[in-house]
This record gives sequence, structure tokens and C-alpha cells, in this order.
Amino acid sequence: MTNSIPVFPLLALVIVLGLAPMLPGIANRTKSLLTGRRGAPVLQLYWDLAKLWRKGVVYSRTTTLVFRLGPIVLLAATLVASTLLPLDGATALLGFPGDLVAFAGLLGLGRFLLVLAAMDTGSSFEGMGASREVTIAAFAEPALFLCFTVLVLATGQMELAGMFGVPLVTAWPLAAPSLVLAAIGLFIVTLAETCRVPVDDPLTHLELTMIHEVMVLDHSGPDLALILYAGAVKMALFGCLVIGVVAPRAHQPRALAVAELVLGLALIAVAVGVVESVMARLRMNRVPQLLVAASALAGFALILLLR
Amino acid sequence: MSLLGAGLGSMLLAGILARVLERRSDLADRVYRWGMIAGCVVGATSAARLLATDVPAGRSTAAYGLDALSAWFVLIILGVGANIAGYGTGYLGRERPSRRVGSAHLLLAVLLIALVGVVTARTIVAFLAAWEVMAIAAWLLVIFDRDRAEVRQAGLVYLVLTHLSTIALFGMFAAWSGGAGSSSFADLTAAAAEHRVPVALILGLGLVGFGIKAGVVPGHIWLPGAHAAAPSHISALLSGVMLKVGIYGLLRMLSLLGTPPAWWGWTVLILGLVSAVLGVLWALAQHDLKRLLAYHSVENIGIILLGLGVGALGVSHHHPALALLGFTGALLHTLNHSLFKSLLFLGAGALIHAAGTREIDRLGGVARVVPRTAWAFFIGSIAIVGLPPLNGFVSEWVVFRALLDTGGTGGTLRVASVTAAGLALTGALALACFSKVHGVLFLGSPRSPVSGVYGGDNGLVAPQLVLAGFCIAIGLLPFLVIPAAARVAIGVMPDSVPLGLADALTGTATMVSLVALVLLVLVGIVWGLRAASVASRQVRAGTTWGCAYPAVTGRMQHTASSYAASLIGAFGPLSGTNRVDGPLTLEVHAVDPVFDSIGRPVWTWLRRTAVGLRRFQSSRIFWYLLYVITALVGLLLYLWRVAP
Repeated sequence: MTNSIPVFPLLALVIVLGLAPMLPGIANRTKSLLTGRRGAPVLQLYWDLAKLWRKGVVYSRTTTLVFRLGPIVLLAATLVASTLLPLDGATALLGFPGDLVAFAGLLGLGRFLLVLAAMDTGSSFEGMGASREVTIAAFAEPALFLCFTVLVLATGQMELAGMFGVPLVTAWPLAAPSLVLAAIGLFIVTLAETCRVPVDDPLTHLELTMIHEVMVLDHSGPDLALILYAGAVKMALFGCLVIGVVAPRAHQPRALAVAELVLGLALIAVAVGVVESVMARLRMNRVPQLLVAASALAGFALILLLR
Repeated sequence: MSLLGAGLGSMLLAGILARVLERRSDLADRVYRWGMIAGCVVGATSAARLLATDVPAGRSTAAYGLDALSAWFVLIILGVGANIAGYGTGYLGRERPSRRVGSAHLLLAVLLIALVGVVTARTIVAFLAAWEVMAIAAWLLVIFDRDRAEVRQAGLVYLVLTHLSTIALFGMFAAWSGGAGSSSFADLTAAAAEHRVPVALILGLGLVGFGIKAGVVPGHIWLPGAHAAAPSHISALLSGVMLKVGIYGLLRMLSLLGTPPAWWGWTVLILGLVSAVLGVLWALAQHDLKRLLAYHSVENIGIILLGLGVGALGVSHHHPALALLGFTGALLHTLNHSLFKSLLFLGAGALIHAAGTREIDRLGGVARVVPRTAWAFFIGSIAIVGLPPLNGFVSEWVVFRALLDTGGTGGTLRVASVTAAGLALTGALALACFSKVHGVLFLGSPRSPVSGVYGGDNGLVAPQLVLAGFCIAIGLLPFLVIPAAARVAIGVMPDSVPLGLADALTGTATMVSLVALVLLVLVGIVWGLRAASVASRQVRAGTTWGCAYPAVTGRMQHTASSYAASLIGAFGPLSGTNRVDGPLTLEVHAVDPVFDSIGRPVWTWLRRTAVGLRRFQSSRIFWYLLYVITALVGLLLYLWRVAP
């Protein structure tokens, strides 16, 4: 870290945090266009957030302080996680060796609190959603770490900024097959972590079939706004991981790198929308198989590197 | 050392007084509690001073002595021990009319002293003597509640396994001292340095002996039963402290033996991975709170072994940086696990007193009955899952770094980096398990009427809060602990370590601290923003959304079993459950695959063989005389053959 103010990492962070609510909008708009509808505006989530923020709150009498703490810690942890990623392609605001563990840990902390908040309501629906959430996470986590291990082996770096930085640019010509496999693995993890088809359907209307949405049934007003915003930021962060592997930008001018990131995020959102339009959601007991497949892809990538 | 002796003396005295003053229970409790706490604090201070000042370990000829490695474990034993002893007086207070509580208090003091003896022993005899006192004292404490058959059975399993461990250690030391010709540890090192000892045999037997004590799969089978059977503060001591003696043994063996062969490091690494994943998976299936926590100890011992394995591999491949990370991670996680696991067991004890049952599925909403215990348990849960900003994250971060750093070495060692994904799986499963435990136990509404009302008094809560405070402190300020752990780790390694490696690790730990601080500040900011938004709006209390169904009861909540069902189902036969589908019912029983497939058959075979041997016990003096004469003649023939 240099002593001067890290302008571009800060700028990239502000842009990513500001544009994040647009990503679900783009994904949904893609889906509606492909299925022959007009659909909601791309900026819909901004309006929803503004409206929710001004609403009152209803708390179940069963709940305790944990329920109120859930959305707050979720958003705070997701925001801290975003400072660990090299969003401008080269530098992270808070980078250190092994920060990938902190990245996963912070997202885990948010999940833990959100799940506990769901259990706090005493609703069996929300308990079910919580159970499904942790089940999926249990399979997504090793896949994510296998992808990270591919990057560690390919670049020899232990820091996210290095794993996605110049060493990755030089690693591409040598380890292209591995990196392609890791990128596909990361994209599947992205779908799972952001609760999109084929793992979860954000537009479903039946409590019994929901995963993420059913966990937050009892949240209202600003609490729900915090959760929705944190979800959008999480989608942006995983998008940044995929873009970071596919298009490392450490060798480019910073401003161009940030612009490419924005374009890349939009493309990822479009890809998510396309996936949602062309396939149905998997049965719940097939989801682990999908994620194990993602792990297997990363595993093959590792074998190619270790050979 | 003399300060430590004074502390131990005070503990022994307090234990004896607790037994002698049994009839005056108030006085006995007070004397015991403060005598034990004072003794532990004095002893722990002497260990902490040694760790802080970095005194080089001299070659001592005494039977017991203190060096950095010993001091680290003395600190764990006495630091946790003080809290457990303080808790014990309140916890066993209710049992006074029916049981000899004073004996249990005395035994606890003896067990703690024996544990300190094990980690400070400097000769084989001193070590094995302390080891056996520890094993027996722990056994007597496990069967404290010996009227129940399940407790007696758990005690028996423990007794068999702990002696299996002792036998392996006897074998190890016999093989070693045969080459050394003396029983002091210093001579063992000298013999090892001159390659006069069978290294493979020693390492193998040591791994068996210490592995059983530490609860490494498949030697873990004594652990769940013993932890469930013992009084909760004893479970906390077994899990938080006694298992760690196995880790101490492995580290001490390495430090005496010098560079281990690479196969040993790989074995430890794989055993660690298997223990971590299977331990947490089996924990997920448990319905009994204390058995669940016990399986989590298997998981955490696995995580410690992952660090230890990388450390050993680093030593064999001469990568000091890697070895330092591995050993430091193992030592830190040993400390951290002792803190949060004893915290969780003490919380479980308070909860069991409050609720009158250990069955997770019968409870719910207990946070309203014991709010302070619920918060302490919350802290412990976040710590054990390894999430920032608490201490569990710090040590798992170091272990992760060690695992991933193998990727930068080249050669076969790089394969070890794959185990990082196994550790990630372990962490995610632990998250599932503790969201289940905390969510089902403390949150929501009661699933059945709560019977007890005891368990919220200060004597039970204060130790939990102290331990939770340590979990938070190490999580926020890891750079205060890491230098000491690194120094102990360097003491274990035979090669010299380049200067600055430990400082670099401490330096990056300040970044972990920074992340934790930023997280806390952001939580504060978001909390403030939300509070400002909510302040001017309407806040209403309602009922939980039940899809418009009005007659919701507590029994309809998701239970712990249904919560874990989808995950357990995904792991199939590995998951340690036994499904019984009836015509109208479904029962899922948690079983231990190793105990059922290895432990029980071996035991049955042993018993059958032993019964078969009864034929030789005919109770006729004639036969016995014949045995004696046969033995004599046999010995004479042997001597005649070997005599020069």
C-alpha cells in the first residue's frame, strides 16, 4: 500500500456500490425481453430501495435483537468484503496475504446472521429457507476455494490483488485451459451465491419453493432494503471475480480498467438473464450436484496445473 | 517454575479443603472457587511471563521443567481451568444432597495438576506417570453420574481407548529409550540426532497414542460418549484442554526427534482433513447438544492437524516459512479452540440446567430464559465457525495460508494446497451446524414446556463472559498473540528460521485487525442509518407470517433434524445416520460409523476371546502350579539358549 490516497480503487468501489442495484434489473430485463415481455425498468431496484427505506417496520413478537442485527451485519460484512477485491484491476483498499479467506469469511458472517434472523422468527417456512441456504453454501464454498486455489497455483500469489493482478496476465498464456475452467466454476458459484436460476428463482411466488426469498419473509421496511441492497452488492462482487479471471486488467490504464469492469458487470448480468431464460430451476436435490460439478471443473483445472 | 509450583500447590490445597469441608458447603465452595482461581492465575502468570520474555530453554536435568512449548500449553490448561473450576462450584451445587461433590472438586484439581505435569515433564517416567494420573482422574470424573448405564458404558469405552493410547506411548518410549539408554528427554534428543533410534516406529506409535488422546478419526470413538456423560464443566475441560495434550505430545515428539520424514507429514495432513470433514458432518446429525459439541472437537482437532501436517511437511522439505505458518496456525487454533469450545460447553451446561434436557429438538426460544448465556453462546458460535471478527477466524486464516502457501513451493508439496477446499467445506458445514444449534435452541419459540428455571445465576454466567471476552480480544487484536505463538513454533522446528518471518506474519495480522475494526465501524454506521430511518416511522409488533394460517404452534417450527436433513441426505452413507421408515413414522438416529463398524466388532471379539480364556482358570491349584512350573522351565530354556 502506498501512502497517497488510492484514487482508482476508491473510485471503482464507489462505482460498483452505486451501480450494483442495476445488475438484478439488467438480468430481469434480459429475461423479459427474451421471453417476449417488456418487463420492469432496469432501475426498478433503486425505486424499491428508496420506497422501502421510507416505510415503517413490523416485527414479529417472537423475534429478538438477533433479527434486527441480521440485515445490518449482512450489509456491513458485504461492504467490507468489497474493499478486499482489486476492483480497479490492480489494487485493493484493504489487501493482505490470505485476504481471500477474509473475503469468504465476511460473506459467511453475513449469511450466518441472516440465517439466524430467519430462525429467530420461529416460522417453519423461514427455517426451511435457512436450511436450504446453508446446504447450498456448503457446496458452493469448496467450489469457490478450489477456484481460488487454481488462481493461487497459476499466479503464485496469496493476495486477491495479486491473484487478479499482473501475475494473472502473465499466467494466461501458460495456463489458459485451467483459467477457463476456473472462470466457468466461478460463474456457477456466482449463480448459487446470488440465488439465481438454476439454483434459486428470485421471482417465485410460493413460499414452499423459495430459498433466499423465504428467509426474508418477515423483514420489512429499511431492514428489507438493507438485505436487497446487500444482495445486489454480492452479485456485483461475484461478477467482479468472474471478470477478474476472464479479463485481468492490471496492465491497462486504471480509468480504462474501471470502465471495462462496468461493462463486464453488465455483461455478467445479461448472461445471468440469458441462463434464466433458457433453463428451468433444478430440483433442490440436484443443486448440490451442480455445485459439485463446479468443484470438479476447478479440480480438473488444478490437475492441469499440478501436472 | 517455583511460581507455577506455588499455583499448583494452592490448587491441590483448595481441592483437599473442598473434600474435607464437605459438610459446610458454602464455605467449601468459596474456599475451592477462589483457591482454584488464585492458583490457576498464579501458574498461568508464570507461563505467560516466560512466553513474553523469551527465555531460552536451558538443558535441565530435573524431572519437570518449563520451556516455551510447555508454557503455551500451561497457559491454556490453567487459563481455561480457572473458569471451569469457578463454574464447577455453581454447577455441581445442586447435586450436593445426592453426591459427593467434594470428591469431584478434588479430582478436578488433581486432573489439572496432572495435565500441567504432562506438558512440563522432562523425563519418560515423569511424563508417563502424569499421563496415567490424568487418564484415571478424567475417567473418575466422566463417571461422576455413574448410576446411569450409558454413563458407565461411556466410561468403559474411554478407559479402554485411553489405555490403548498409553500402551502405544509405552511402546514409543521403549523403542526410543532403547537407543538412548536413558530416560531424560535431553538424552532422547541426543539419540535421535545421532540416528540411533527407529524413527518410523516412534512416529507411528506416537501418532497412534497421541492421536487417540486428541480424538483423531478413527481414534475419536471414546469422545462423544465421554463428553455427553460427564458433567458439563468436565466436558469443557476434556474438550477444551485434555484433547490438546495429544497435540502437545505430537509437537513435543517432533521437537525432540528433529526432522520427520515426509510421509509422516502427509499422514497427519490427511488424518486432519478426514477428521475435520467427518467430525463436522457427524456433528450435524446429532440431536444431543453435548454429543454435537463433542463431534465439533473432532473437527477442530482436524483443523489443528492440518496446520501441524503442513508444519511437519515444511520441516521435511526445508521450507521454514511454510513450517512456521503451519505450526503457528496449529498452536493458535489449539488456544482458540480451548477458549470457544469450553465457552460453548459451559453454555450448554447452563442451558441444560435451565431446560432440563439435552435434546435440541425439544427446546426453542431459550434466549428469553437465559439471555446472557444466549449471547455468550452466540459469540462462541461465531468463533467456532471461524468467521471474522473473532478468534476462530484468526487461526483458520493462518492455517488456510499455510495450506495455500504449499502451492508456491513446487514439487509434490503443491498437491497439499488442494486441502484448502476441504477446510472450506468444513467451515461451511460448521456454519450450517451452528446456525442450526443456535437458531433452534435459543431463537424462535419453545417447542415443549421448559422445566427448569436454574442456570442464569452469576456463578455460571461469569466464566462464560470471561471466555467470550478472550474470544473477542484475540479476534480484534491478533497481533498481540501471534508473536508468542510464532516463537513457540520456532522452538519446535529443528532448522533455524530466517529473521523477520514471524514479524511479517504479525504485520499481516494487523491487517486482519484492521478488517475487523472496519467491520465493527460499518456495523455501527449502518445501525445508525437504519435507526435514523426507523425513528420517524411506525414500528409495529405483529405475529410471524404463517401464510395466513392462524393456529401456529411452537411444535410446527423447523426442527434441528429437518434443518440438517437436506445436507445429511446429500452426503449419503458418510453422514452417520440411520433411517428407520415406519408405516406412519420416520426415525433418524445419529450413529458413529467408526464405532459401529470397527469399535463394536473388535470389542465383541475381545470379549469372546477373553471368555474362551476362562478355561485356563479352573480354580484347581494343581493346574496353577503346572502353569508356574511350565513358565519356569520355559524361562530357563530361554536363558540357556541366549547365555553366552
